[in-house]
Amino acid sequence: MTVSFELSDDLVGYGREIRDWSVEAVRPYARYADVHHAAPDHWRQIVETCPVAIGTHDRRQVKRQPAFAEGKWVRDLVVTESLTYGDHWISNVIGAGIGHLVVKLMGTPEQIDKWYRPIVDNGGQTAFGLTEPQFGSDTSMVETTATRDGDTWVLNGTKMYCTYGGQADYVVVFASTDKAAGPAAIRAFVVPKGTSGFHVAKFNEDKLGIRSWTTSELLFEDCAIPVENQLGWTGGDGDGPGPAPRTRSGRSGALGALAQNKPNISATGIAMAQASLDIATDLLQEQRQSFAPHRWSLVESDLENMNAALGRARLVNFRAQWLQDLQRANKTEASVAKAYGPPTCERVIRRCMQLLGPDGASTDLLLEKWYRDVKILDIFEGSGQVQRIIVGRAVFGGADRVA
Amino acid sequence: MFELDLSEEQIAVRDLSRDLATRVLAGAARDAETNRRVPDEVWRQVFETGLTAPASEDHGGGGIPDTLTHLVALEGLATGDPGIAIAAMWSGGSALLVGLCGTAAQQYAYLPRLASDRQGRGGVALYEGFGRAPSEYQTRIEHLGSGTWQVAGTKVAVPFAAEADPLVLVGTDPTTGELRAALIPPDAGGVAIGPRPEHGHLGLDAVPLHTVTFDLTIGPGQLLGGPGAAAGLLVGAVGRLRLSVAAAAIGCAARSVEYAAAYANERIAFGKPLAAFQGVSFLLADAAIQIEACRLDLWRAGVRVDAGPIGGLERAVSHAVNYAGSVAASVTRDAVQVLGGHGFMRDHPVERWYRAAAALSTIDFDPTYAAFAPAL
Repeated sequence: MTVSFELSDDLVGYGREIRDWSVEAVRPYARYADVHHAAPDHWRQIVETCPVAIGTHDRRQVKRQPAFAEGKWVRDLVVTESLTYGDHWISNVIGAGIGHLVVKLMGTPEQIDKWYRPIVDNGGQTAFGLTEPQFGSDTSMVETTATRDGDTWVLNGTKMYCTYGGQADYVVVFASTDKAAGPAAIRAFVVPKGTSGFHVAKFNEDKLGIRSWTTSELLFEDCAIPVENQLGWTGGDGDGPGPAPRTRSGRSGALGALAQNKPNISATGIAMAQASLDIATDLLQEQRQSFAPHRWSLVESDLENMNAALGRARLVNFRAQWLQDLQRANKTEASVAKAYGPPTCERVIRRCMQLLGPDGASTDLLLEKWYRDVKILDIFEGSGQVQRIIVGRAVFGGADRVA
Repeated sequence: MFELDLSEEQIAVRDLSRDLATRVLAGAARDAETNRRVPDEVWRQVFETGLTAPASEDHGGGGIPDTLTHLVALEGLATGDPGIAIAAMWSGGSALLVGLCGTAAQQYAYLPRLASDRQGRGGVALYEGFGRAPSEYQTRIEHLGSGTWQVAGTKVAVPFAAEADPLVLVGTDPTTGELRAALIPPDAGGVAIGPRPEHGHLGLDAVPLHTVTFDLTIGPGQLLGGPGAAAGLLVGAVGRLRLSVAAAAIGCAARSVEYAAAYANERIAFGKPLAAFQGVSFLLADAAIQIEACRLDLWRAGVRVDAGPIGGLERAVSHAVNYAGSVAASVTRDAVQVLGGHGFMRDHPVERWYRAAAALSTIDFDPTYAAFAPAL
C-alpha cells in the first residue's frame, strides 16, 4: 500500500453535509447557549433537521451512522469536527459521554450487555466521575471510598467536573475499596441516576467557556449500589475490597477510556479555530482596502499559516484514530494528538481576534466565545502536561521516572 | 547616565497603586464586569490617585506624572483589575492631552472641572484598527479656511464615547501630515456612536467601548493646542496613552503568575507540590522571564516618550505594545493551565485575566511586529 492522506469522497461529502447543517442550524444558537448556559429549548427540533443520522442522547431509536472505508474512529473525527463547526453546544445534547466506554473496557460480558450495549444501541448519556476537589491529574489520590456491606457497595465522597454528571443515565464512579492498599484498590462503580444517596451538589459550574455543557459536582453520601455494579465483578477472588489484578485496575480503565476520546477533543478545538479563521478571513477580505499593502501581505501569510497549522493538527488526529480503527497500539499517538492541537487552536482564535482589531473580541462575533471555550481542551481529559508525560515515556523507552 | 532603579517617588507610586489594587480593585473586578461600569465608590478611590484626571497643581490637580511614573502606577493598579485600571487611564486621557498639549485657555476651560469632578469621565478617540500606527491614521482634521476645520473619520475602541467631556479625537492634518487633535463636547453633532455589544466584551467590560464615526466642523478653539500646535507634544502624549495598554497587560500578567505560583505551591499531585514539576514550574518561569523583558522594553519606551520627539519613537512604542500584548495573552493562558480545571472556573480570577489580556492584545495590534506562530 502506498501512503495516502486522501479521505474517501463519501466521507468528505458526509462531513461537508453535516458541517453545512451545523452552520445553518446550530450556529444561530451559539450565543444563546453561552448566555443561558444551556442549549436552546427546542434543541430536539433542531437535531431533527440534520440531514444525516446523528441521534440524540435520549433518543431510543438511534439511526446508525453509515460505515465508511476509513473505519469508525476516523469517521468520528470527521463527524466531530463537522458537527461542532457551527458551535459545540450540539455536543451536549447528542453526546453519549464516556462512562459507557469505561464499562466496555473494564466490564464483564454481562456488564457490557447491561450497561454498554443499550447506550450504543438505543441512545443514552453516561458520565465519568474521577476528579475530586483535591486532585485532577494524579488519579492515585482518590478519596472517595467504597465499603462492602453485604451485597452492596456503599460509596462516600465528592466528584467534580463531571461532564453530563447531573443528567446522565449513570455515572461511573471511581472509589477506593481499601485506602491502605493504595491506588490498585481503586475500582469503578456504575451508579444509576436516582440512586439513594447520590446527590447532584451542583448541576453546572460557572465557567469561562463551554457553558452549555453540563459540568456537575456530585456528592455520594452512604450511596449503596449492588455488588455487581463494580466493573469487573465476578464474585471471585479478584474482586474487592483490596487491590485489583493489574489488568482490571480502575485507573487503567479510566485512562483507557480517556485515550480513545483524545483526538476527538482536539477535533472540537480544530472546529472552533477553523470557524474563527473562516469568519475572520471573510471579514478581513471585506476590509482589505483599509489595510496598507505591506500589512495586507502579512495578514494573508498569517491566514495561510494558520490554515496549515490546523491541517497538521488534523493529521496527528487521523493517525491516532487510524491506528485505533486497526486496533493497533495508539496510546502515544493519541497523546500526541491531544497535546498538539488544542494550544495551537487557542492561538489561531486569538490571532484572528487581533487581526480583526478591538471589534474582533466583541460579543458581536463568536470568536471571543470560542476563545473562552477552547481553553478547556488542553486541560480536561488529561492536560497537555499529562500528555507530555505519556509521550515522554515513549521517547525515553519507559526508562524515565516521571510519575 | 545609566540607571535602572526607579526613583523613590516611583517606588512609592508603585507600592501605593499595588496596595489600592489589592484592597479595592481586586474585590470590585467582578462587580465592574457584571454591571459593565466601575462602581462609583471604587471610581472615587481611583480618582484620588489622580489617574482619572491628571492635572497640574495650578489647575487643581496633584500634578502630571512623568510617563514612566504613570506606567508604573497603571501596572500596579492592573494587578488588581486590568479593566478598572485601563478605564481610569483612558478616562484620564482627556485631562492628560489637554494638560500636555492644550493652550492656556483650553487648560483653564477644562482642567479645573476635570480635576474636581469625582465622577466625570474623559476619553480619547485614538485607535483605528487595521494595524495602523498614529502616523497612518486616516481620520482627517483639515483646515477648510476662515477658521473652520473639518473633522472626519472612524475610530474604534473609543472609551466613554457617550459621556466624555471633552472627548479628544486624534487624527492627521493632511496639509502637514502631522498629528492633530480636536476637543469634541458631548453634545456635538456629526458624531455617530455605534452600539455597545449586547452581551459585553471578552474582557473589558468595566469600560464602555464604541466605534465612533466623526463628520463635523469645528472652530479653532476646539483644536487642541490651537492652529499652531506643536505636533511633537501630541506624538509624545499619544505614545504615553498607547503604552498604558501595555502597562495594564503587564500588570495583569504579573499578577497571574503570582496567583498561579501560589496555587502551584499549595496543590499536591503525585506526592509533591505542582511547583516541583518542571512541566508546570517552567511555564511560570518562562512567564517571569518574558515579563521582565517586556517591562524593561515598556520602561525604555516610556522614558523615550519624555525625551521629546526623537526618531523611531512610534516604532518603539509599537514594539513595546505588541510584545506586551502577546506576552500577557500567553502568560495568562499559562496561568489558567497551571490551575487546570479550577482555572477554568469563575471562582478563580485567572479566567478573567485570560480574557482581559487577550482583549487588550487586540486594541493596538499590528501584524508587522510578529508573525503567527503555532504553539508547537
